[in-house]
Amino acid sequence: MAHELPYIAAIEEAIREEMERDPTVLYFGQNIATHENDPFLKQFGADRVRVTPISETAEIGMAVGAAFAGYRPVVELYMAEFMLVAMDQVVNEAPRFHYMSGGQVKVPIVLKAGYGFTAGWAGQHTGSIYGMFMGVPGLKVAVPSTADDAKGLMTAAIRDDNPVVYFHHYLLTLEHGDVTDGEHVVPLGQAAVRREGGDVTIVAIGWLVGKALAAAEELAAAGIEAEVIDPRTLAPLDTETILRSVEKTGRLVVVDQSTRHGSAAAVIAAEVASEGFGSLKAPVKLVTALDATIPYSEPMEGYLLPDETKIAAAVREAVAEAVSA
Amino acid sequence: MPEPLDTQRLTWMLTQMLRIREFEERVKRTFEEHPGVIRGHTHLADGAEASIVGALAALRPDDHVLTTYRCHGYPLALGTDPNAMMAEIYGRSDGLCGGYGGSMHLTDTARGFLGTSGIVGQGIPHAVGAAYAAQISGRGQVVLSFFGDGASKQGAFHESLNIASLWKLPVVFVMENNNYNVVTRTEQEDANAAAGEPLAVKATAYSMPGTTVDGGDPVAVYETVGAAVDRARSGEGPTLVESLVYRLCAHGNIIAPPGIPLHFPEHEAITVFGNAEEYEAAKRGDPVPRFRGRLVSDGTISAEEADAIAEQVQAEMQGAVDFGLKSPFPAPEAAVNFVYA
Amino acid sequence: MWRIRAFEERVGELTRANEVHGLVHLSIGGEGVAVGVCGALRDDDVVYSGHRAHGHAIAKGAPPAAVLAELMGREGGLCHGLGGSMHLVDVEHGFFGATGVVGGNVPLALGSALAARLAGGDNVAVVFFGDGAVQGGIFVESVNIAALWALPVILVCENNGFAEFTPRSAHTTVERVSDVVAPYPIERLTVDGGDVRAVRVAFSQFLDAARAGGGPMLLECLTHRFGGHYEGDAQQYRERLAADEWRRVDPIARLGIADHGVELEARDEIDEAERVARASPFPDASLMERLVYAP
Repeated sequence: MAHELPYIAAIEEAIREEMERDPTVLYFGQNIATHENDPFLKQFGADRVRVTPISETAEIGMAVGAAFAGYRPVVELYMAEFMLVAMDQVVNEAPRFHYMSGGQVKVPIVLKAGYGFTAGWAGQHTGSIYGMFMGVPGLKVAVPSTADDAKGLMTAAIRDDNPVVYFHHYLLTLEHGDVTDGEHVVPLGQAAVRREGGDVTIVAIGWLVGKALAAAEELAAAGIEAEVIDPRTLAPLDTETILRSVEKTGRLVVVDQSTRHGSAAAVIAAEVASEGFGSLKAPVKLVTALDATIPYSEPMEGYLLPDETKIAAAVREAVAEAVSA
Repeated sequence: MPEPLDTQRLTWMLTQMLRIREFEERVKRTFEEHPGVIRGHTHLADGAEASIVGALAALRPDDHVLTTYRCHGYPLALGTDPNAMMAEIYGRSDGLCGGYGGSMHLTDTARGFLGTSGIVGQGIPHAVGAAYAAQISGRGQVVLSFFGDGASKQGAFHESLNIASLWKLPVVFVMENNNYNVVTRTEQEDANAAAGEPLAVKATAYSMPGTTVDGGDPVAVYETVGAAVDRARSGEGPTLVESLVYRLCAHGNIIAPPGIPLHFPEHEAITVFGNAEEYEAAKRGDPVPRFRGRLVSDGTISAEEADAIAEQVQAEMQGAVDFGLKSPFPAPEAAVNFVYA
Repeated sequence: MWRIRAFEERVGELTRANEVHGLVHLSIGGEGVAVGVCGALRDDDVVYSGHRAHGHAIAKGAPPAAVLAELMGREGGLCHGLGGSMHLVDVEHGFFGATGVVGGNVPLALGSALAARLAGGDNVAVVFFGDGAVQGGIFVESVNIAALWALPVILVCENNGFAEFTPRSAHTTVERVSDVVAPYPIERLTVDGGDVRAVRVAFSQFLDAARAGGGPMLLECLTHRFGGHYEGDAQQYRERLAADEWRRVDPIARLGIADHGVELEARDEIDEAERVARASPFPDASLMERLVYAP
């Protein structure tokens, strides 16, 4: 059974239900729980829900230390870029300790941050920088594209004994969707096939899943049936599902709001080129942001970013090309 | 006020100081006697024994301790097996962390030694998180956060002390000021030191007490840290304790590419600043023989007892070296274990 | 001050009419600080600011038409529409920029101050930030180095008692920003930021000392943020100021100059700025690619 919720409420539902289920889950960060009527504060109290100053290094470091001592903090970071202020804690501390201690400690923390808010938020608040966190051993990266997955992946992230960076796209905030009632876990590391098709595989990240589906409808009218895959987790990456699809279709288009070399698309393309070369009938196509800081002015912002038109064009190119025997 | 130290506790303190010194000297000697066994960068506690032991003497068994890459001394005093520690430093599978961490990342969660970061200052927020956990767990635990003077210039120090004060967390920040940050003297990098002020003044920005203590006197450290621990345990919040120590060894062994034998050079006072007299004076005031001398001369223990302890300690640490050398290396494929919990 | 007030009010209208997009942070209530400080500076003094930067930019000499064009995403904007509200830069007038990262420009100001010292001139660096920035590690790292190297940088903190949506008491136990830097050898002063004359007097003392080789200094200006954190912020976390209370804290009202001519002239200038901004075309997309790397 399901109930309709906006994406943002689905995330909060997951956090709330996990906090109800497990008294060691904490929730803190800037600008949360600042008034006595805040629902989290009222329900869980000032021990488990706290507002912090603007101190990302300390916020994330504290999460690590509280995790050492048996708690499971969820840190509200608001924007992906704010993690950059505390990059050491995210990349060089949190994911290292389980390993360096020979398994003695665990760091079950969730770093929750919005990304990709391309609505005039300009150069420092708009990035899709999840690529920076892939390939960090010990660190998991989740990017839900639907309200249901937003809940399921947050639940999984909180239950996971590893540090998880959980990115939620700002333009999805108010997207309504059917959310599974009650306990709902979407395992980390499992991709979802959103649309089946035999002619081309489109792998899309986050908000662009919706754009890829829209492009697929347009292409279907022209007789091209696209299979759309949503990885849902970028680390660990479900390359199996992607490779199986490419084996079927022979063509791959990867759609990612990040810049070209900073993208998940680059990693996915490399994996398929390396492990699925025999399946490919055409070169892999990458549809990513152009390599520039996101500009403020609207027409330039639009020029930079992937959209349905660019996705459809890339698919047509992939379909038209054929690798010579 | 912390409980006065009786003969048993004083003897324990001397023993721990001797153990730490002997362990560290054996680590240093491994570079000469068994070249190639220790790889990478190791940092020793020579000169800090009184400060380490004095501080830890104020703790309960369920308290937590976090420190920096100069981390060998603390677990020894907390009761960690020196065999496992030496094996870890030697990169062996019987090491404290299975060979995964090495000298800079010793961890012994069973003894409250939670996890050691090698990045200057970044362990301070970890300690604040452990203190937050202690606060809400309600068992009255306290956390000691050890770091050097260099770390007090890191943003992480500022952010952590502010939050600890704001939330009245049960943490004591112990800054071991040894006046050097690798090859830089503190007055070259710290505005307070340059102005001739103790670094404890930084506490005034966080509404917390700041105090400076002679880190060469374990009893003074015990009393100062003990008072701060009591304060934290009673819910009154954190304290900054500046413990003045002199590092009686170089910052660490030399950093060199493979092929060049590693060794411990002389202290930076000599090699960089040409100030052998500063180092010699500090050696004359070495806290370990000083404390031994004090306990013998005030009758707490006899010279024979002190010698006996020293002999036992030597045997213990020889055993640690032997254990480490005999311990097998981990299988290479073990490298991919423990990536994820 | 009226130029800034009229500008910010117009930006508020344009934001609500969806002609200025994205995050906009207005500085109504902060005019006394912007004018008190920037009005004393030269073009070769370098100013940095945070996300609430329109007033600082204009007070430092950025033409309102160019600032407004930037906010409207036009070619004629200060940054040709690339930066927007939080990333205003006007090198010609020594405004080296706004930033969206809280406290992010403080170390940059140190760099500018160092450069000024090395070049042997008497120009100085000034950086504006809010009370929320002071708890960030980057702030104290910068204060230590500025004090250690005695750099000619003047740190100007606009303490309006709020960092985004939370009051100062949620951020720290220390009420006064000047007390946060108290341990460090840095000159510090707290003034009423709503009194433009007091701001000018205090700042000028620091400025003269910095030009003569002194520094660093911290000037804490107690101000009132009239609006929300950003345009559109419903401000449920604050009690609204009654109109008469606002008149008591409004820096313009407090200056007590009855002449309406100043206000009218300012509003005319902003009307003209809007006309000029609207007439500017949107930039061509090729502009972006040229600017990713310096040639």
